[in-house]
Amino acid sequence: MSDVLELPWHEARQQVSPREYRDACLAAIASRDPQLHAFLHVNRDADGDGLPIAIKDNIVTTDMPTTCASRILGEFVSPFDATVIARLRRRGAAVMGKTNLDEFAMGSSTEHSAFGPTRNPWDPNCVAGGSSGGSAAAVAARMVPAALGSETGGSVRQPAALCGVVGVKPTYGRVSRWGLVAFASGLDQIGIVTKTVREAAEVLGVIAGHDEMDSTSSTHPVDDYAADLDAGVRGLRFGVVREAVEQLTGEVRENFDAAIATLRGAGAVVEEASVPTIGYAIAVYYIVANAEASANLSRFDGIRYGRRSPQARTLDEVYSDSRGEGFGAEVKRRIMLGTFALSSGYYDAYYGRAQKVRARLRHDFAQAFAKFDFLITPTTPEPAFPIGAKTDDPLSMYLSDIFTAPANLVGVPAIAVPSGFSKSGLPLSLQITAPHFGERAMFRAAAAYERETEYWRKSPIPT
Amino acid sequence: MKIDREEARRIAGLAHLELDDAALVRMADEMTKILTYIDQLREVDVEGFEEHAESAGTPFREDEPRPSLDRALAERNAPSWNDGFFVVPKVIGGE
Repeated sequence: MSDVLELPWHEARQQVSPREYRDACLAAIASRDPQLHAFLHVNRDADGDGLPIAIKDNIVTTDMPTTCASRILGEFVSPFDATVIARLRRRGAAVMGKTNLDEFAMGSSTEHSAFGPTRNPWDPNCVAGGSSGGSAAAVAARMVPAALGSETGGSVRQPAALCGVVGVKPTYGRVSRWGLVAFASGLDQIGIVTKTVREAAEVLGVIAGHDEMDSTSSTHPVDDYAADLDAGVRGLRFGVVREAVEQLTGEVRENFDAAIATLRGAGAVVEEASVPTIGYAIAVYYIVANAEASANLSRFDGIRYGRRSPQARTLDEVYSDSRGEGFGAEVKRRIMLGTFALSSGYYDAYYGRAQKVRARLRHDFAQAFAKFDFLITPTTPEPAFPIGAKTDDPLSMYLSDIFTAPANLVGVPAIAVPSGFSKSGLPLSLQITAPHFGERAMFRAAAAYERETEYWRKSPIPT
Repeated sequence: MKIDREEARRIAGLAHLELDDAALVRMADEMTKILTYIDQLREVDVEGFEEHAESAGTPFREDEPRPSLDRALAERNAPSWNDGFFVVPKVIGGE
């Protein structure tokens, strides 16, 4: 029965009834999730005869709690569905549960969840990546065919890479964020995790489009994202970002070189590209994202929703004690850094300067896209790392996003596609970045690479 | 950039975060390390680049009245609520 979970959704639904498929998902969750902890809430009564999908627990739903993996939200249940949830439900999707994340999506390993880490389906001693680690692990472990995550600096692509599945960050503004709990509003975008490129393209077609509840959502027409999946890459131009890959060594380097050879073998033109400021992305990111987070998270005040400190006696203590007790260490660190970067006397030197470097990065990407259809790098600098390896060193954790954060700062779409395995059997991943609103071509390129390699067929679940 | 404990205390106050002395010392240390990494942004030539990003403009909708959140739904998530209002400790005339 669980064999059907190894198939892409569009094949599985030819073989079993929607009810049987949902039951297979629930059975897989019951047997696999106690070890992996991908889910914070499972919806045993999920109905809808369309795609069964899991949702990162920072996207609000009326029929389940939304925790953001934080203590501060307490028993919060949203009075409305996020726009992406409403659109999925309208198309018959079954919302199977809410997935684990780093608290408020701040992290790269899902170890900063207040409810404990998610484990990697390929090696339970390793992290699943983050912050959408629960969504990536749930798809990789064949518990659901698809999941939504959110991206601020790589939080869909990085865990997808570490778990060996497809991860998509659409163009900034492509998908409505109404109902996504805000982290950094100038960067946040809802993303998709699936086993195959086709499934991701189909989900994007459902959730993309303008929404009057999110004024940053674009009126740019929604494309048929699956239209060119079989068109191949003959003659298309891929730029290898020199400044990103020149430091690569070992098996990540070998794997990336093999991916280049595969693309060339399929007829693509692959040449060196240059994005001189790409190495500054993490420094820019940790100022811009944290500055915006410090403002966005001021809404958690112990008054309107969530948990209020029982010891608070004055209004000031309601704020400070509720936040001091309710937020975890990483969230506090980021609020502190962001508050510092915006504070009087430091604004120009930090926030102002970071935004100028970001403008230059955007310019450098535009120059590169004048010569290339796509830019490629590995998705991550290394495969999944052991649980606990980076929790005492925030900076080394931040550097896990070194190849993913640039797309968020620039606003362009990018996809992580499985590119093979390390010698120890952990997944590796190729990242393909496209120009603004270039998702259709991006899916075409990713599907061509996937067809040549078919790494998605390898499953971490023993048969 | 070096952050000491007193600077961390000032920032925590601005951010409405209650942190004890040990947490402030640890925070100051971690912030110093991260900001030292971030200081590499000083070496980038940003001549001619502006802080504010170009934007495609905000799409507006008609400014029409419509129902807002139902009070009963707001009450469900409120930590303290009385007769249609959020309750906070007394602000004026206390102590």
